[in-house]
Amino acid sequence: MSEVELLLVNSGAGCTAYTIQFLSDDESEFEKFVSKFRQDAELNPDFQAIMRFVEQIMSNGALERYFRREGKMNDSVVALPVLKSKLRLYCLRLTDKILILGNGGVKNTRTYEEDDTLQGYVMDLQKFERLIKQEVRNGNVEITEKEIKTDKTFEL
Amino acid sequence: MRTVKLSLPDLFNEIPDEKREESRLSFSISNRLDNLMRARGLSKKQFADAIGKRPNEVTRWLSGEHNFTISTLAMLSTFFGEPIITVQ
Repeated sequence: MSEVELLLVNSGAGCTAYTIQFLSDDESEFEKFVSKFRQDAELNPDFQAIMRFVEQIMSNGALERYFRREGKMNDSVVALPVLKSKLRLYCLRLTDKILILGNGGVKNTRTYEEDDTLQGYVMDLQKFERLIKQEVRNGNVEITEKEIKTDKTFEL
Repeated sequence: MRTVKLSLPDLFNEIPDEKREESRLSFSISNRLDNLMRARGLSKKQFADAIGKRPNEVTRWLSGEHNFTISTLAMLSTFFGEPIITVQ
């Protein structure tokens, strides 16, 4: 089991973005994604395209149609971009105004399940969603229309 | 709650202005299309059938990531009887 913390990334007009950080790590999951591809000459166009979509989502909201459905039917894991790309960024779309940005990587396989690394990123988000929803039910975490209110750490 | 060290606005500022504007326009057009479909009570499937396209093409249009051609915009504005974009 690893302990994770929810961190605020940014609050826009249409969406509040969060990420998660393992307490044993120096960077959050979204920061790891950025660190991997920000300076990558080959993948930077795909990375910048994803960042352009994140910028618009911050203004327009985390609407379902802006994302690719990933994960399972009963979870809220989504990915960017919708259109063809070498890269995937995995996220949790909790509401139309709350998005948790996760990690991501190069997608060389047909499905994320065929790539252990990508599957790990998706599973972390799936587990975190189950935990945060449990804590909401327990009254330890509050999710409003646009905000998650918690200072808790979570055992993932 | 703590905030990440990374600045999202700084990250966005690294993107060329014309590419950011391209995405702003694509998202605006997708929002306009979504509003017109809702106003007509059209599901994605019904709309796709009505214009002779596959539903996954409409999914792309509504994603905010599609680079619309003038031809597609003309077809859409003709279908809805209203402009999709306005040029002054």
